[in-house]
Amino acid sequence: MEKLKDALDFSDFSKTERICFIIFTIFLLVFPWLGVGSFVKTVMIQFMLFSLFGMGWNTIGGYGGQVELGKAQYVGIGAYTVALMMVWWKVPFWISMPIGILIALGYSFIIGYPLFRLKGHYFAIATICTSLVLKDIFDNWNLVGAAKGIELPIHEHPDFLYMQFKSDTYYYYFIMGLFYIAIFYMNWFRKSKLGYQLRMIKDDEDAAESLGIDIRWCKIKAYSIASAFVAVGGGFMAVYNLYIDPASVMELSLSIKIALMAMLGGAASLWGPIIGAAFLVPLDRFLGSWLGGHKGLTGIDFMIYAMLIMIVSAYQPKGIWGIIEQFRKRGR
Amino acid sequence: MAFLEVKNIVKDFGGLVANNNVSFEIEKGEIVGLIGPNGAGKTTLFNCIVGYYRPSSGKILFKGKDITGFKPFQTSREGIGRTFQIMKVTTGLTVLENVMVGAFSRTDKREVAEKEAMGIMEFLGLIDIKEYHINELPIARQRKVGLARALATKPELLMLDEVASGLNHTETDEMVGLLKMLNKEKDMTIFLIEHIMEMVMSVSKRVIVLDSGVKIAEGLPNEIVKNPDVIKAYLGEKYAKSH
Ligand SMILES: Nc1ncnc2c1ncn2[C@@H]1O[C@H](COP(=O)(O)OP(=O)(O)OP(=O)(O)O)[C@@H](O)[C@H]1O
Ligand SMILES: [Mg+2]
Repeated sequence: MEKLKDALDFSDFSKTERICFIIFTIFLLVFPWLGVGSFVKTVMIQFMLFSLFGMGWNTIGGYGGQVELGKAQYVGIGAYTVALMMVWWKVPFWISMPIGILIALGYSFIIGYPLFRLKGHYFAIATICTSLVLKDIFDNWNLVGAAKGIELPIHEHPDFLYMQFKSDTYYYYFIMGLFYIAIFYMNWFRKSKLGYQLRMIKDDEDAAESLGIDIRWCKIKAYSIASAFVAVGGGFMAVYNLYIDPASVMELSLSIKIALMAMLGGAASLWGPIIGAAFLVPLDRFLGSWLGGHKGLTGIDFMIYAMLIMIVSAYQPKGIWGIIEQFRKRGR
Repeated sequence: MAFLEVKNIVKDFGGLVANNNVSFEIEKGEIVGLIGPNGAGKTTLFNCIVGYYRPSSGKILFKGKDITGFKPFQTSREGIGRTFQIMKVTTGLTVLENVMVGAFSRTDKREVAEKEAMGIMEFLGLIDIKEYHINELPIARQRKVGLARALATKPELLMLDEVASGLNHTETDEMVGLLKMLNKEKDMTIFLIEHIMEMVMSVSKRVIVLDSGVKIAEGLPNEIVKNPDVIKAYLGEKYAKSH
């Protein structure tokens, strides 16, 4: 009960923030009825999906301050669990998704245990490696479709059991639901004991330990929460795209985008990942379609991302949200 | 059975022996000072006791329990609180949040942690800076925040590494008063490293002296200041002879 109260309580935010949040919510609710084209709707769905990823990453990456660059493997775990169970055994989404979450949790504990012996750059590199290894396995594993990937059976009529719809509007409201669950969860998380302890770890590990915090265990817990979040997004990708392959759900670039969105928007803040996704998803879409038409320019998008990372870390490590807060402080 | 028993601690940093066969005991309710010149191995000894370093050999018993090789978070949970000689100047958590994290070691509820933290901050006179970050504070205040968050874990044994360094006269006197009050009213056993002789002498009932990793003396403050070995360690050979 108290947890629910914390999750729904936004009273420590400024009035402006709360009003913006309400307007934003109303906007999202009516958005599909504004007569926008399907392309824009897809971008909106991507925006909420990546916000979800970014909020998950924010637990360990933002609040915990650990440079985590391997979230794609959990997108893959979520996506493959849902897809394979549906193709093999016709298991409905609402059963396969929780199983996907459990697998992601279990896997993240197993990976997290040795991973969090490492610190700093070594940790960052190791997260990339574990993700690459899993992608390699899936790329070569014939049983799960190897590099060709797997297609999900298409249902003619809207099917809530399998979460399969012809119209994007259904998916829109579904991801919106997940998006808001993530916001409420993170609103609770930032005020929880684990949230405080992680921020202490980020500030000063030695001091955190002297205050009775089992650093490694805290990091593993946060890492697992992040992984569960991301796996949900992966499950959504499976039913939404109806086709997955290792390149689309386990690529390193996906891991980097997830981390970058949260960092760009503002790590360790509730709104940061959402703001970051609002910037980067449209940019990513635009660059994708523009570069697609110009052969030889592929890779430019990553140069732009690399530049963004450098600018953010040099100018304002707290991201766009940090800049906004700076201006607000000056205004006072 | 003493409250804290340190038995034959050796800490060898690959050739440099920072603690060499150090043994002593501390009884419950005592205030014990640990002094010694720069590089004597005082901080190292602290770190061996609370678990930042694993001693090369020797044993540490706290309330009769062997805690040798425990991790710092475990010794904290056993009831040992500590402050750091060099406090990291951070920009993330506010002062209140720092102290709350200490209090969270005893509760899962934010309201409880906040209340406890406020109580301790009131006791130490930190309420006015609760929304500040550590990097925005003068050194005396920073040290008090370090003390406050350690106190928030409700330790039975408080280990302080030079809490008074960087403090002026009045601030030092205030700190002495505070420690005495903690010892008397909160029944806290205190073990403190101090550079400033006067501070150690005025607050501790017993003093242990370390020099080049070896315990060279132990006793009442007024005996220690007269001990020729101690004088030699602190002021050099010449000074000891001329007295
Ligand atoms: N992690 C380490 N690795 C190697 N040598 C170390 C390490 N920590 C301390 N030392 C060395 O051990 C010796 C004792 O250091 P320590 O910090 O314990 O002294 P101290 O008595 O606390 O001195 P001060 O009064 O300057 O704080 C010093 O020579 C120091 O250089
Ligand atoms: Mg020292």
